[in-house]
Amino acid sequence: MKAPAERANNKIVLDGVQLAIINKRLETICTKMANTLLRTGRSGVLNSARDFSCVIVTAEDELLCVNEVLPIHVLSGPDIMSRTMKEFHPNLKRGDAYLHNSPYHGNSHPADHTILVPVIDDDGVHHFTVLAKAHQADCGNSIPTTYMASARDVYHEGALIFPAVKVQENYKNVDDIIRMCQMRFRVPEQWWGDFLATLGSARIGERELQVLAEDVGWETLHTFARQWFDYSEQRMKAALRKMPAGRSTATTKHDPFPGAPDGIPVKVTVDVSPDKPMIEVDLRDNPDTYPCGLNLSEACARTAAMIGVFNSIDPTVPPNAGSSRRIQVHLREGSCVGIPRHPTSCSVATTNLADRVGNATARAIAELAEGYGMASTGCILPPSTGVISGCDPRTDKLFVNQLFVGWGGGAAAPHTDAWLSVGHIGNSGLSYQDSIELNELRFPIRFRRRLCIVDSGGAGRTKGGEGFYVEFGPIDCEMAVAYTSDGNINAPEGVRGGLSGGAARQYTRDLEGNLQEVDACTQVVLNPRENIVSISCGGGGYGSPLERDARRVAMDVLEGWVSAEKARSRYGVVLNEDTTVDETATKILRRTIKSTRSAAPSD
Amino acid sequence: MKFAVDTGGTFTDLVVQGDNSDIRLYKSATTPDDPAAGVLATFELAARDIGIDRAELLDRGDMFIYGTTRSTNAIVTGTTAKTAFLTTDGHPDILVIREGGKTEPFNFTMPYPKPYVPRSLTFEVPERLAYDGAVVEPLDEMVVIAHIRTIERMGVEAVAVCFLWSMVNPIHELRVAQLLKEHLPGVPYTLSHVLNPSLREYRRASSACIDASLKPLLGAHLRDLESRLREAGFHGRVLMITSQGGVMEAMDMARTPIHSVNSGPAMAPVAGRFYAEADAASDTVVVTDTGGTTFDVSLVRKGRIPWTRETWIGQPYLGDMTGFPSVDVKSIGAGGGSIAWVDEGGLLHVGPQSAGAVPGPVCYGQGGIEPTVTDAAVVVGYIDPGYFLGGAMALDKEAVVNTIRTRVAERLDLMVEEAAAAVLNVMSENMVHAIEDITVNQGIDPRNAVLVGGGGAAGLNAAAIARRLGCRLAVIPDVAAALSAAGALMSDLRAEFSTTQFTTSDGFDFDSINGVLQILEGKCREFIEGPGADSKDQAIEFTAEARYPHQIWEIEIPVRDSRFSTEADVAELVETFHATHDDMFAISDPGSPIEIVSWRANVRCGLRDRAAAWSVVESDSAASPPLSRRCYFSDIGTVDAPVLRLESMARNVVVEGPALIESSFTTLVIEPGATAVRRATGSLIITPAS
Repeated sequence: MKAPAERANNKIVLDGVQLAIINKRLETICTKMANTLLRTGRSGVLNSARDFSCVIVTAEDELLCVNEVLPIHVLSGPDIMSRTMKEFHPNLKRGDAYLHNSPYHGNSHPADHTILVPVIDDDGVHHFTVLAKAHQADCGNSIPTTYMASARDVYHEGALIFPAVKVQENYKNVDDIIRMCQMRFRVPEQWWGDFLATLGSARIGERELQVLAEDVGWETLHTFARQWFDYSEQRMKAALRKMPAGRSTATTKHDPFPGAPDGIPVKVTVDVSPDKPMIEVDLRDNPDTYPCGLNLSEACARTAAMIGVFNSIDPTVPPNAGSSRRIQVHLREGSCVGIPRHPTSCSVATTNLADRVGNATARAIAELAEGYGMASTGCILPPSTGVISGCDPRTDKLFVNQLFVGWGGGAAAPHTDAWLSVGHIGNSGLSYQDSIELNELRFPIRFRRRLCIVDSGGAGRTKGGEGFYVEFGPIDCEMAVAYTSDGNINAPEGVRGGLSGGAARQYTRDLEGNLQEVDACTQVVLNPRENIVSISCGGGGYGSPLERDARRVAMDVLEGWVSAEKARSRYGVVLNEDTTVDETATKILRRTIKSTRSAAPSD
Repeated sequence: MKFAVDTGGTFTDLVVQGDNSDIRLYKSATTPDDPAAGVLATFELAARDIGIDRAELLDRGDMFIYGTTRSTNAIVTGTTAKTAFLTTDGHPDILVIREGGKTEPFNFTMPYPKPYVPRSLTFEVPERLAYDGAVVEPLDEMVVIAHIRTIERMGVEAVAVCFLWSMVNPIHELRVAQLLKEHLPGVPYTLSHVLNPSLREYRRASSACIDASLKPLLGAHLRDLESRLREAGFHGRVLMITSQGGVMEAMDMARTPIHSVNSGPAMAPVAGRFYAEADAASDTVVVTDTGGTTFDVSLVRKGRIPWTRETWIGQPYLGDMTGFPSVDVKSIGAGGGSIAWVDEGGLLHVGPQSAGAVPGPVCYGQGGIEPTVTDAAVVVGYIDPGYFLGGAMALDKEAVVNTIRTRVAERLDLMVEEAAAAVLNVMSENMVHAIEDITVNQGIDPRNAVLVGGGGAAGLNAAAIARRLGCRLAVIPDVAAALSAAGALMSDLRAEFSTTQFTTSDGFDFDSINGVLQILEGKCREFIEGPGADSKDQAIEFTAEARYPHQIWEIEIPVRDSRFSTEADVAELVETFHATHDDMFAISDPGSPIEIVSWRANVRCGLRDRAAAWSVVESDSAASPPLSRRCYFSDIGTVDAPVLRLESMARNVVVEGPALIESSFTTLVIEPGATAVRRATGSLIITPAS
């Protein structure tokens, strides 16, 4: 591999239209990569739920283009992974591909298998690297789940770790690696198909970048990158200049889980300096790592804080290495929300604690001034998004897959009710939700109910998204369901007077119909005709519910989102029999509640 | 003789194709309260022009192809029928949850979309089928009847039924249909398994709900239109354009009105592609269609009609999915009828509101009081008030000037002409933005594309838009005023038939697959003998939708022969699959068998003799416009611009702007610095000012 060309001598200057067009073309490349993964993936987690992300980084490891990605996958991490690839393989060649899932070298968590392909021209110059990151149905853990919260360390976890391991050379597979994978991952033919899909996605990215370079030239693309980073930084500066100056701290707590019996407190301090302009997020004042799988990887710790920031500013600021120059995230080595040391387990790094960090960051910003930040998004992973496994009696074949059958819980924004189906803050609603029919076709499973839960959206001037009730069970076989449901005790917080969203719960229902509560973090093995009931969190509300337009509350009641009773007790809205607002009674009730509630908002 | 009619929000276009491929265009105002009247009025116009009786004209026609924006408009404006949704017990939120997904991960300023049918009109029905169609829980008819009583009390006008797995076993949906007929006679309903028998409950339910909500409106309209056409003397076939760019019998459309959504503009890309190739030898084309109410834009790339497998009404994730593929056309609210208004902050806006056909622009003198783009064009002199639509409609210029003055110019502190020019500029910018949205989004630099301008209002700013986009050329075909209707006549009659029949390459079921292919071929032959009876040429193509095991999204691959006789035939299909997969996705899995899920046959009947000339018959108009007119241009102020008649322009002679070129349907504004030339094809080619 040759060193990248001398870019200082590059005299090209692109105008605004050219910048916009090249940016769109790069986004289109990411879209094509994503389309490949969705259309060719074999496991439901890829081909139904879209749990993957495709990005482009520069040869200097800067995140250049993200398009419609899951935020927790990418804001930080691709940079470190690209650096790791170059460090471990100083002689990159055209036709190479690298498998990377090491949370100790920039990846999010071991279940996210990433293929990196360095894009190298005819002269051997490395120009860009494309990454396709795809969540696996199985990654060889000691139990069939890709989120092993109970893992004491990476050995107990059991995932095979690939720190940028070469899996293709000269466009041919390194079969030793393939065979190792096939011996370790459950349902190997499914893994093989997903591997091909991820590889295809990265190769499509490589091919399309080469086509683009033929059109406009590599130097133009490097100029684009430089100008685009500067433009993005300018946009970020402008966004930060509009924000109120100040420091704000938000705390939250992850529920007690195996390995963390008292729960995990999280503290986030945000400093906004519109004059510099710069925003700093400090995560250092937090506990050390725990002997469980909840610890964050460095990529996820940094990214979670950045998501909180990007969710709170002008959404048109492009997220990349340029705009990120204005965000400083302070991490501590050895912290559960910092930089973990091997062999600490980071099996669940993309969701539970990361969500606590992201939500607390957005809430800290919200408390700085009206109109900023967001409430908390629902916590996960409830059984409706658990990993199911077993043996299908129809085919006698083993199956393993993560469900995406029902999670709502969007957080209220300053001026907008929640986007209902967000899932969790790290995913931002970009994942799809499974078709009931498709799941019943693919697995020996039946879904008895799937619906939104009345009164579970956090009350506020703007309302949080509802939680979901999902009930399902196996058909003619046993089925294991592994899940890690945070938010049973510490429900997603509201902000600026907004109330919390509904808490999570989970039960099994036996043959007689009796419900029995089960642990929030466990693997349940269901008997034939036994069901599991999954109740996912609602999202938090923003602003006082007493300030919500009474006619909107009436509409919420008419549409079954809010009960008439909670319209009164939470929103102070009295309705007539025909669901119109009783204006006078509402005015009086709201005044009364205001005077009694001023001390502390409550349900 | 063939007729094609495109009823837009403002104008109804009629294209008459004679037996020698001679084309005549007519245009009259859409009559939203009684659209059939507008259609018949347009025939009246044509009959008068040709010099025969309307009944005789209609009698000569053997085919009437109809496109309309009526369904789309009803959905966008929320005037569809009040619709109830019956769903499987335990699954009331299928339309709320949809399939998840969101765009712009960091943007939380977009409200979550409302379900197509409100939750308050959604009813859960105790019943359940398994994936293989087995009845897990029988239908509770008493609950159904109770729901029907409630539905009746609520004044519901249409009902959609979608149960889980109904496409595998329709027993419960069919029983509900009987109960609806019995207890709610006269209220139309849609059963999901009949309309769209496909996997994935959201798509099937959404199809059914959209379809049901359109039935009262479109069913009544089509029945009325067909019977009045018959009464007026038409004996030929009444066909309707579908959103998939094909045609179907109008009465079939009345039973499945969802296929009419977006059908109006679906044919414009066909015509646009033809003229870009003929006039500018280009296969990258931005096709625009500017009517009175909406501006439709589509992008033809490498000669391919843009196509989307997943059709959203509105934006992806924010609108509703139809559950069917369609021709990909983007529409925004901009056109001759777009209303100009100044907001409280002193900012000028144009649209998206439209004065429509009624009351129409101020200049029509039909009671419109809000200034529109057409009014602005009158003020700057681009439209001759004495010669609108070939003199068919006299315009009231004084009222127009007063309106623009008080409602726009004075609020912006501008001269009245400046204000009118600003209105046109803002509209052009809105259109440029819509075009860039699709070209840039697909990574196409509009500078490499040719613009084909269609629609009655295209000429007002086609040159300006081409200049702003940096397009090499703008082509205004002679059929521009009725581009979509003309496209309907140029395009082939097409139909598609498909069947789901699962098989695998390692256990290929020759008998049942050959049986399926035989049935599909039979349907194609029927189509050729039915709708395609007098077509010039015909072709049938077979395709298969296939995938690797565990995949859930199929890709379409061609099937060479209509029967499989040997393993070698199967091997060839598998090879084609691997190669197509590799081409699309950069990988294949050559050792793997493949699964074939469904089989499709496309039949195409060419209606037009491809060698025959295709040009508009230009009648010498009695009214002759003056040779020049006072016009205002932003850059150079008021000048005397030469006025030319399109019909009498010499071919291949360059006209330099500023100039106005008038035809019976439209005024073409050639800006200062731009040039125009009329080609032998009849098209006007504009080279924009640089």
